[in-house]
Amino acid sequence: MTKSSKSTNKTDQVWIDRLLASEGATSVLVVILGILSGTLIVALLGKNPSSLFKAIWQAFVGYYNKGKGAWSVGPLGDTLTYAIPYVLCGLSMGFANRVGLFNIGAEGQYTVGMLAAHAFAVCIPAFPGQWLFCMVVAVLAGAIWGGIVGILKAKFKISEVVATIMLNYIALYIYRLVALYLFPAGLTNRTYRTADLASTSILKGVFISESNLNIGFFFMILAVFVYWFIMEKTKLGFSFRATGFNKDAARCSGINDTQAISLSMAIAGAFAGLAGACVLLGSLKFGRIMQGQDNYGFMGIAVALVGNSKAPGIFLAGILFGALRSAYSLMQFMNIPREVVNIIEGLIVIFIALRAGLGKVQEYRAKQKIKKAREQEAAK
Amino acid sequence: MKKFLVILLVLLVSFSIFAKGGKEETKSSKPTVAILTDATGVDDKSFNAAAWRGIKQFYNNEGEGTLYRNITAQSSDDYLPNLKNTAAQGYDLIITTGFTWGDAVAAFCAEYPNQKVIIVDVDYLPQTANLIQYIYEEEQGSYLVGVAAAKQAQHDGISNPVFGFIGGVPGATITKFEIGYIEGIKSVFPNAKIVDYYANSWGAPELAKTQAKSWYDSGVYCIFSAAGGTGGGTIAQAAEYRAAGKNVWAIGVDSDQYEDGLYGDKTKSAVLTSMLKMVENSTIDALTKVENGTFVGGVVTQNMKTEGVGYATTNAELCAEAKTACEAAKADILSGKIVVNKTYAASKAAGIAPAGLGAIDD
Repeated sequence: MTKSSKSTNKTDQVWIDRLLASEGATSVLVVILGILSGTLIVALLGKNPSSLFKAIWQAFVGYYNKGKGAWSVGPLGDTLTYAIPYVLCGLSMGFANRVGLFNIGAEGQYTVGMLAAHAFAVCIPAFPGQWLFCMVVAVLAGAIWGGIVGILKAKFKISEVVATIMLNYIALYIYRLVALYLFPAGLTNRTYRTADLASTSILKGVFISESNLNIGFFFMILAVFVYWFIMEKTKLGFSFRATGFNKDAARCSGINDTQAISLSMAIAGAFAGLAGACVLLGSLKFGRIMQGQDNYGFMGIAVALVGNSKAPGIFLAGILFGALRSAYSLMQFMNIPREVVNIIEGLIVIFIALRAGLGKVQEYRAKQKIKKAREQEAAK
Repeated sequence: MKKFLVILLVLLVSFSIFAKGGKEETKSSKPTVAILTDATGVDDKSFNAAAWRGIKQFYNNEGEGTLYRNITAQSSDDYLPNLKNTAAQGYDLIITTGFTWGDAVAAFCAEYPNQKVIIVDVDYLPQTANLIQYIYEEEQGSYLVGVAAAKQAQHDGISNPVFGFIGGVPGATITKFEIGYIEGIKSVFPNAKIVDYYANSWGAPELAKTQAKSWYDSGVYCIFSAAGGTGGGTIAQAAEYRAAGKNVWAIGVDSDQYEDGLYGDKTKSAVLTSMLKMVENSTIDALTKVENGTFVGGVVTQNMKTEGVGYATTNAELCAEAKTACEAAKADILSGKIVVNKTYAASKAAGIAPAGLGAIDD
C-alpha cells in the first residue's frame, strides 16, 4: 500500500517537474488558461461561449461564404497574413531578449521600415522587382533604427528601454512629416494617403486569393530560419547568447559584448523593418500615412514571451496571435464583445509573467528533493 | 511526439464539437446591415454615432445583433478583411464612414459586385453599381453656426470678439467646416479676428483642452471644433470656464453636443449650438433604398436642401437674434443668394478668409 502510493507520488512528481521544466509545455498551458478565462468571461456576460471557439475555429478553417455561395478559406488567409508582422516583430523582441536586452522598439523599427518601403515604392518610377528592393531597404532602415539603440546601450550605457520608447514616437512623427510634406501627394485626402504605390512594388498574393496573404509570408518563414540559424548555429549567435546570460562573464572570456549588443539590436530592428514593408506592400497596398501606431511591434513583445524567444516558438505564437486577430472581427458577428480578444491576449501575457513564479515553484521543489534525499541519507 | 499528436487530436475534436454552436436565427422582412468602423466603434459621440443613430431609428431599436450590428477594426489593414467577412455573412448592406475607408471600399466593390455598400464623406471613388457615395456640404451648416456665434457676441455687447477653430487632421473635408464657419462670422463682423489650430488627431481631447484654455484666457469668445473625439476637450474647457462665470462658448459638431457641455446643476450647457451633419439621413436613405429595391450606385449630395446639414437650437441661452439671423441665412443659402465657399483657396480669393490658417485643400 505504502509502496504503491509512494510510486504514484513519484510519477506525479515527475509529471509536474517535467511540465515546469519544459518551456514549451508551460507556454501551451498559458495559452489554454488564457482562452479558458476568456470563455469564462463570455459566459459571465451571458453570451454563448461556444461562439468564441467557433470564431477561432473559423480563423483556421474558414466559413461558408453566403455572399458567394461557397466555402471560403479567406479567414485562414487573414490569420496567416496577420501572422507575418506578429512573427517578425516577435523575432525582433525575441532576438534582443536572448542577448539580455528588452526591445520595446519593434514598433518604431516597424514604422521606419514601412516608411523606407513607402519612400521607395512611391518616389521612384516603377521597375520590375521593385518590391524586393523596397523590402531590402525596409530591412536596412529597421536595422539602422535598432542599431542606434544598440550603440547607445553598448557605448554609453543608455537604457535600451527608454531609448526605444522614445524612438517609437520619433519614428511615427517622422513618418507623418516625411509622408505629408516630401512624398508626392495623392489627388484626394492627402493628409490620409500619398500618391499610389508603384504597381511593381506590391507584394503578389499567394495561395488564398480571398485574403491579403502574400509572398511576405515566405520571407517571414525565411526570417524564422535566419533567426534560428544565427542564434543556435553560429559563433556570433553563441556570443549573443553568452552576453545574454552574463555580460561580464562573456567579456572576461573574450567575447566582444559591445559588438554583440549593438549588432543584436540591429538584427532585431531588421526583422521589425521587414514587418513594416510586408504590411504596407502586402496588406494595405496604398500609400497610407500613419495616423497612429499599428501596435504590431508592441504585440511582438507578447508573441516573443509566449514563444520563449525561440524561433519555432515565436512562429507558432505568431500564428496564434494572427488567428486571434482574425477571430476579432469574426466573433463580432456572433455577438461576442470584441474586447474579449484583447482580454484573452492580455491574460496570456499575464499568465506568461506568472511563469517566473513557476520557476520559483521549480526551485522550491528541487530544494525539497535535496532535503528529502539528505534526510533519507541521515536516517540510514 | 505520439503524445503530442494525441493531444492535438483531442483538442481539434473538442474544438469542432464546440464550434458547431452559436447559430444565428430569426428571419425578418427588413434588410440586414453591418456598419464597419475603426477601433472607436459607434460610441464616438460624433460621426459614427450619428450613422448608428440612423440605423437604430430605421429599425425602431429592434434587432441589434441580428438585423444590424457594428464591426470594428483594430487598424487600417483590417478594413479589407472585415469587408470580406461581412460580405461572407450575407448582409444586404454594408455601411462605412469616413474617407479612411476609401481605398479598401474601392478594392472591395470591384471584387464583390453584388454586395451593396455605402460610404459617407467620399465622392471620388470609381463609380460602381453597388456603391453609393454620400458627400455633405458641411460649409453650409458651418456658416450657420458661424452666424450664430457672431450674433451671440453682438448680443453680449462684445465689440471686438475673437473666434477660434480647432480641427482634427487637416484635409479638404475639415477645411469645408473651417471656411464655412469663418464666412458665417465675417458676414456679421467683417473684421473679426480668427485663430485656428489642428490637433493632427481625432482622439486627443487633451490637446484641444490645452489650446482652448490658452485661447479663452487670451480673450477668445467662441471656439468651434470639428475634430471628432478631440473636440470633447474644447467643450470640457468651456464648461469649466462657464461654471466659473466666464462668458465663453464652444460649438459642437456632427451631432447635437448640447449634453456634453452640461455643467453645474446640469441645467446649462457650454455648447452654444452644434453644426449638425445628419449622417443618419444617409444611413436611413440607403436602408430605405435597399428595402424598396431602389438602390442605385452613384454620388448623393447632402446639403441644406436635403436637410443633411443644419444647426442645433437646443441651448436656451442662444439669443433670439442669432436664431433669426440663422433662419435668414438658411433661406438665402436655399435660394442661392449666399454661396458658401468650399475651399480655403476660393475663400482667400474672395477676400474673406485670412491668410496663414492651418487649413489644407486637396
